[in-house]
Formats: sequence, structure tokens, C-alpha cells
Amino acid sequence: MSKPTDLVQGTLDLLILKTLALEPMHGWAIAQRIKQVSHDVLQVQQGSLYPALHRLEQQAWIKAEWGESENNRKAKYYSLTRAGRRQLENEAESWERLSAAISAIVRA
Amino acid sequence: MRIVDIVRLRFRSAFRRGAVECDLDEELRFHFDRQVEQNLAAGMAPEDARREARQLLGPVSQFKDECRDARKTGLIEVLCQNSRYAIRNLRRDPFLGFIATGTLAVCIAANTTVFSVVDSILIRPLPYPNSDRIDWISERTGLNQQDVGVSPDYFALRERNRIFEDVAAFNSATANWTGVERPEQLDVAAVTPQFFHLLGTHPLLGRRLTADEEGPGAPSVAILSYAFWRNRLGSDPKIIGKTIALDRLPRTIVGVMPQGFDYPRGTQVWLPATILDKATQRFPLPPNKPIFVVSMVALRKRGVTPSAAEAEMKRLTFEVRALYPAELRNRGFRQDEIIGATPLQEHLNGQLRPALVALTGAVGLVLLIACVNLANLLLARAASRHRELAIRLALGSGRRRILGQMLTESVVLGIPGGLAGMGLALLAVDALNALKPAVLVHYPAIAMDWRVLLFTVGLLLVTSVLFGIVPALSAASIQIHDVLKSSGRTQSGGRGAAGLRKVLVVAELGVSLVLLIGAGLVARSFLHLSQTELGFASDHLLTFRINPMGPLGSNYSGFYQQVLEHIQDLPMVRSAAVTRDIPLSDRDLPTDGVIRVVGRPVAPFSERPRINNTSVSPEFFQTLGIRVKNGRIFNAHDFAGAQVGGRPDFLQSEAVLVNETFVHRVFPGEDPLGRQLVFGPDELRATWTIIGVVGDVRSTTLGADAPSMIYRCTCAGLPMYGTEGFVVRTSVEPETAIRAIEQQVRMVDRDQPIYDVQTMTQRRDAALEPERFELGLFGTFALIAIILAAAGVYGTMSYLVSRRNREIGIRVALGATPARVFGLVFRETTLLLALAVVAGLGGAWALTRFIRSLLFGVSDVDAATFVTTSVFLALIVLAASAGPVGAAARVDPLTALREE
Repeated sequence: MSKPTDLVQGTLDLLILKTLALEPMHGWAIAQRIKQVSHDVLQVQQGSLYPALHRLEQQAWIKAEWGESENNRKAKYYSLTRAGRRQLENEAESWERLSAAISAIVRA
Repeated sequence: MRIVDIVRLRFRSAFRRGAVECDLDEELRFHFDRQVEQNLAAGMAPEDARREARQLLGPVSQFKDECRDARKTGLIEVLCQNSRYAIRNLRRDPFLGFIATGTLAVCIAANTTVFSVVDSILIRPLPYPNSDRIDWISERTGLNQQDVGVSPDYFALRERNRIFEDVAAFNSATANWTGVERPEQLDVAAVTPQFFHLLGTHPLLGRRLTADEEGPGAPSVAILSYAFWRNRLGSDPKIIGKTIALDRLPRTIVGVMPQGFDYPRGTQVWLPATILDKATQRFPLPPNKPIFVVSMVALRKRGVTPSAAEAEMKRLTFEVRALYPAELRNRGFRQDEIIGATPLQEHLNGQLRPALVALTGAVGLVLLIACVNLANLLLARAASRHRELAIRLALGSGRRRILGQMLTESVVLGIPGGLAGMGLALLAVDALNALKPAVLVHYPAIAMDWRVLLFTVGLLLVTSVLFGIVPALSAASIQIHDVLKSSGRTQSGGRGAAGLRKVLVVAELGVSLVLLIGAGLVARSFLHLSQTELGFASDHLLTFRINPMGPLGSNYSGFYQQVLEHIQDLPMVRSAAVTRDIPLSDRDLPTDGVIRVVGRPVAPFSERPRINNTSVSPEFFQTLGIRVKNGRIFNAHDFAGAQVGGRPDFLQSEAVLVNETFVHRVFPGEDPLGRQLVFGPDELRATWTIIGVVGDVRSTTLGADAPSMIYRCTCAGLPMYGTEGFVVRTSVEPETAIRAIEQQVRMVDRDQPIYDVQTMTQRRDAALEPERFELGLFGTFALIAIILAAAGVYGTMSYLVSRRNREIGIRVALGATPARVFGLVFRETTLLLALAVVAGLGGAWALTRFIRSLLFGVSDVDAATFVTTSVFLALIVLAASAGPVGAAARVDPLTALREE
């Protein structure tokens, strides 16, 4: 297994917001989901996931509630707020611009 | 919304730290367990599964910290820490807390109270829905120099203006409430129907006036004020449709206005204006019909600013005045005067503005002195904490953090004082409303609203920062090495701190001197006023008015003569007289008119002197004790001849008396006796002959100079209208004669009340009331200031002496005499004092111009006041520093040297 690519600074927020746009999830599920969707390319370290979640929550882009998990345990579920949804749009847009610019340079 | 969420989350993170941490632990445990489950499912042994999971999880405590950082509670936590630390510190130093709370409580209470008055009178909008668009329409009429309009202008303005939605006219008057056991005088206002619509207030009960209830044909209806309805009619819910008799005329009550609707102020009953008759008052004016003086208010159209209205009024004046130039000239109007429009609030309350601005400034200076005092005190405390601060700095605390810490401490120190101050201010405002000083009687009740609360909180913060900033900056800039090295001498602080404290004490002495001078000027002005020669003896004089019942325009001469004779019959009455204008009652200013001296070149009408005149009965001068300086008093034989100009109130030839001011003005160096004056327009041909000169009398207010007066006689046989005043010289205390006089009046007319009953002494006191009020407040503020300043001087001098204890000890040990030591310290005191006096005199010279309008008979840079107050300040400073200076002279070298 190759070493997972380090996430570009700031993109973790985008990934979390995007993942939560589908449905409310707990931290574990967010990590699993990112790993799954990226075909194991992106592995979010817990050490960066939870501070990021807390940061996003303090920005009021996501909100947390305690709920029941699939195996009947108490888990903290995160969901997007209205402001978070707007933030997601903004970040996705600037990501598109950035990645297009980078690909253009790499391919040139 | 997001902001609210963020603030809520920050507070949760800061104040419910335990819960937040628990949440984090549980969240991480859940993650860990899921990892273990996954590992087990992948076929690992339980031990391995757990180890693997732990490894994957990484260094838990480190990212827990990161989570904490992500919550960004730094600022709040620092603030809380600072506050906790500050409170702990203060508990250790109750003296400081006590002094700060006491000083701030008094000063913040004074400021809050003064601001409540300013807010209630100058800032808070009038309680009418349209208050921001209501203008007062004013013109100075030639008839009696009052700020009112005339009836033709009312109609012309309504029809021709482009900026007002509507214009309403009204007249304040009094009416006798008859048909009750004891008839009494009511304050009424005759208003045009749109008056209520213009102000925008809806009635509590019934209706307002309808559009057709105007002019001579208006129905006999009445609208009551809330206070009258509640206090006098027992809040009768079925009052609408009942009748009330005013001047014996029954009127149907059609409405009751709600509480707070009080315009013109004090009105008890509103009636339709009957004198505003379109047929006779509107252009073209029929000849020989009187026009009337009216008050007017107008509602500006939306979007028209007060200044735009003022500009339009200039244009309008010319248009309106061009309609009836002759009529106005005949009544002494000057063509160059314009009809003005000023916001109603300004018109009603603006008079108090200069006094309130001056008081606000004065009370602000008091607070400034308190700040300087506290800064001084904190500086002394900070000096004793320099070691602690130096250690904190050495251990890595930032200077900014120290600054924050010190400022937090000063805010925490200020809060109890602020709260106590607000409580005191509440009491003070209650007291003001209960005592109702005469100055404030005609103004709305003082109330504390959100503006006052905001003001006080803001003031507290500003104050705390103000008195905290100097000590905080000085604390944050200490040199670690110096402080830690100098082990024993840290108690006194550095040379810099001493200099700073001297500057502060000079500043507070300077500001105190400014306040002392202000109070001194007001006091001199008050003395000047209270010693004003009235021109008559004010003891044993009773005065009152009668507003005869019956239709306006009736001739009441016989009635007044009868009343006068009945009063003169009383045994306790020495003498009594009728007069249109009771001296020192500012209710009615004497009317004025233009005169021309017969035998001099004829000047254009607008350039002739304008002279006040009044009518009195011959006994007036004897009753008041006004001296006859030249010639004689008139008698009934002086009057003969036909009435002139179709005007019933002027004779072809009339004998008049004039006062000395008149002689100085019109006949300087000439003998006025026998000279003739033509009053009013030449066409009127009313000629008055001067038969005597009498002494000057303060006829309106104490501050104003005696006006040039012409006295006409009520005995001339001319008809008398409306309200007249009476002056009665009694042989007993004047109050005891009231009953008997009332009975005598009733013997002439059973229903006729007398009103505005006051002894002349009371009128004189009332005339001094505004000045007494100002003096009381200025005096109080100056007193607080001087006490604070004295405390500041004492503290600083004690500090300076204690700082030099060792030096003085050495000097004494080397042979300095106590006198020399005394001189040494004394020189320091006088230097500070001299600087303070220079600063204070300069400040006063720049600032006293703001109280110029409050001063009578004393210049705002009155040298005597400046010198006296400076000397007074010097005495206070010397007294306050006597202790410390004396202590310096008594320093025992052995103790002083052993101490350190």
C-alpha cells in the first residue's frame, strides 16, 4: 500500500463539507466515506479530522448533534448548516479554478 | 444568524468546558471502537486489533489540544482569567475598591442624572406621532414682541404654501369653569380643527374636531385633557355627550385626549377657535375689523427638511405680506421681519439648551477629575505591584497581556461604582420629578430610557479605560531588570511615575479651577440678580388676576371699577390698583408701539422708537411705592375728548406718565413735561401728553433692564377687555387677605374666580428660580470637584514626601533644619499649584464663554471671580498638603535611614 497522498492545505474542509452535503454523518463515517469514494487514495488521519470538524463547527458551517449509530451506540452526527452549504459552493468553485489551473500547468 | 451561532458556540466552549471535553472524549472513543470492530472483522486477534487502532488514532492528547485551539476560546478565556484575577486583587485591597466605588458612584450618578434631563428635554421626540415634522410658525409681531403670528397669515399660509401638509392655529386662554360649587379658572386652548390631525394623536374617547367646527359658527363643544378628565371628572367613562359650563356657556364634551397629549402645555380643555373667521380675517380684509394674534403650528410634507422649510418661508413671507401691507403697517409690523418655521421641539424646549449644555460640560469635568484621581490612586498601587509584573514579564507574559490585565482590572474596579451610580441616578431623577423645580415645571417629566442606559454603560467603559490607561501603560512598560534589581525601593515606583503623578495632579487642579470659576460666575450673577433694585417695595403686596366672564370684546370697565372699590373697602387693605401687567410676572409682556415726538422732524414709521406701554389705575404708583420723580400722577379730570380713528381704545388727547428710562432714551437733557407724543400710525392721530415721570420698575424679569414705559390710565374712560391684574398693599401678611378679597370679588359676580394669586415676594423668588437652580447644580459640581482635587493633592503630596524620605533623612542627618526641609517640599507644592492655576485660568478663559448666556451683570471673564477662586484653590491646596509637608519637616533621620 503506497503512502496516502498528503492533503493539500485547506482541501480537507472542502472534502468534509462535500461529504456532509449528502447526509448527516459521524466522524468515523466521514473518514470511511472519503477513503471509499477516493478509492483509498485519500486517507484522512483522525488527528486532522477531529480538529477540522471542530473548526468547521466553530465557524457555524456544520452543526453537531448526538444521535444513535447503526450499531445502537451514541455517536456525534455532523450536518451542514445553511451557511455551510454556501461555503461549500464557494470552496468547490475555487477548487475547480485552482485544479484547472494546476492541470493546465502540469500538462503544458 | 451565523454570528449568533458563533457567539453561542464560543460561550459554550468557554463556559462549559467540562461538557465540551466530555463530548470530545466520547466522540474519540466511538471512533476508536469502530476501528477495533473493523480490525476484528478483518480477522485480527483482539489484542492486535486494539493496538492497531491505537496506532492509527495517533497521539490523542496532541490533537485534543488542536481541537481546543479550533474552538478559539482564547479571548474569552483570557478575559475571564483577567477578571478573576482582578477580582482577587481587589478583594485584597478593599480600600481601593471603596474609594473607587464611592467616587464613581457620585460622579456617574451626577452625569446620568444630567443626561436624563438632557435626554428628556432636548433629545427624546415629543410624544406626538408626527413630532419630527411639526414646525412652529413664528413672527415677531409689532404689537407685543411675542413669538406668534396674526390671523390673516394663517389663512394665507394655508392656501399658499408648498411645503406644509397643513397649518393649524390656536390660542391659549383661560376660561372659568362655572356651574360648580366653587368656580375655577381652567387653562383652555381654542384650536382650529386640523390641530389634532396635524399632531397626529387620536382621542382616547369620542372624537376630535371635525373640519367644519371652526369660525364664529362653530358648535359649542369641548375636548378634555386626560389629566382633567381623570383628576376632576373621576375618569367618567360615559363623559361623551355630557356638558361642561365654561364662562357660563354649556359645552358638549365630544372627546378626551390620551395621557401625554399636552399641547399647548397645561391645557385642560380644547375648544374650537371662534375668532378665526374667514369672512373678516382672510384677504381681502374688510376695513376697520380687528385682526388677531394667533399661535400656529404646521406639518411639513414628508421629505421637506427644516432648513428647506426655512428657505421657503422667506419667499412665502413676501408673498403673504404683499397681500395686506397697509393693515400690517398700521399695526406696527416691520416689513423686513420674516415669518419663520422652527421645529416645535426646539421652540418648546430650546430655551433650556444653553443651561443644559453648560451643566453637561460641568458634570463631565467632575467625572474627568474623578478619573484623574483614580488614575493617580491606581498608579500608586501599580508601583507596589511592579515586582509581581516584572516577574510575570520575565516568565514570558506579553506586554500586551499585562496591558489587557490592567485595563480589565480598571473596568472590574469601575463596575460596582457604575451600578451604584445608576441606582443613585434613579433616586435623583425620582427626586427631580417629585420636587419639580420651577425651572422644569413647563417641561416633560424626566424619564430614564434606553438612551440613558446606553449612555451610562458607555460612560462607565470610557471612564474605566480613561482612568486605567495611564497606569496600565506605565505598568506594561516597566523595565524588568531595573525592577528586579532594585530590591528595596520598588515601593515608590520610578522617577517616571512621580512625574506622571505630578502631571495628573496639575491637570485635576486645573479642571477644578475651571469649575470653581464657573460656579463663581454663576454665584456672582445670582447675587447681582437677587440684589436688583425692583423699584418698588415687594413686602405686603398681594397680586392676582381676573379673567372676567362673558363674551370676548365686551367692555368690563365698570366691573373692574366695582371690584377695585370692593377691595379698597377691606380694613386690611391699605391701597389697591388695577394694572394690565403685574411686575415680575412674565406671563404678559407689556405691549409695545411706535411713537413720534410732536415738534420733531417726522421720521419714517419703521425708524421711530418702539416703546412699551401699559394701563394702570391712578392708585398703582402709591400701592407699589413707585416714586414720582417729576410732575404729577393722573386723575380722572385729565381725560376728555372724542375717540379717534374709529378705534374705541384711543382718545384724541390723553395724559400719560413715563418712566425715567423713557426720559433718558427719548428726551435726554430735555424737560419731558408737557411734551406730546403721537402713538401708532399718523392716521390714528392719538396724541398723548406727558404729565409726570415715575421711577423705573423691573416689569418682566430680574435680568432684563427696565424697559422704556408709558403708563396710560384706566380712568380715561376707555373700554377694558379681558384679563386684568390687581396689586393690593395689605397691612397684614398678604396671604391672610386672600380669602377676604375672594369674597369681595364674589360680591360683584358670584361666579367669578380669581387666579394666579401670589404675593410679590413669591413672584420675586420665582423670578430667581432658574438662577437658583443653576447655582445649586454648579455649586454642587464645584464642591465635588474641589473635594476630589483636595484628596488628590493630599495623596500625591504624601507619596512625593514618602518617596523622598531617605533623601530627607540624609539631609537632616547632614544638618538641614526642619525649616529648610519644609521649604524644599513646600516649593514643590507651590510649583504644582502655580502650574495648575495657569492651566485652570487658561481653561476657564476658553470655556466660560459657553455660560455667557446664563450670566447677568457679570462678564464671563470677570477678573474678580478669576482671582478669588484662584486664591480659594490655593488655600485648599495648601490645607490639603499641610499634613504631608509637615510630615516631611518632622522626618527622623534614624528611622528614615533604617527603613530601607
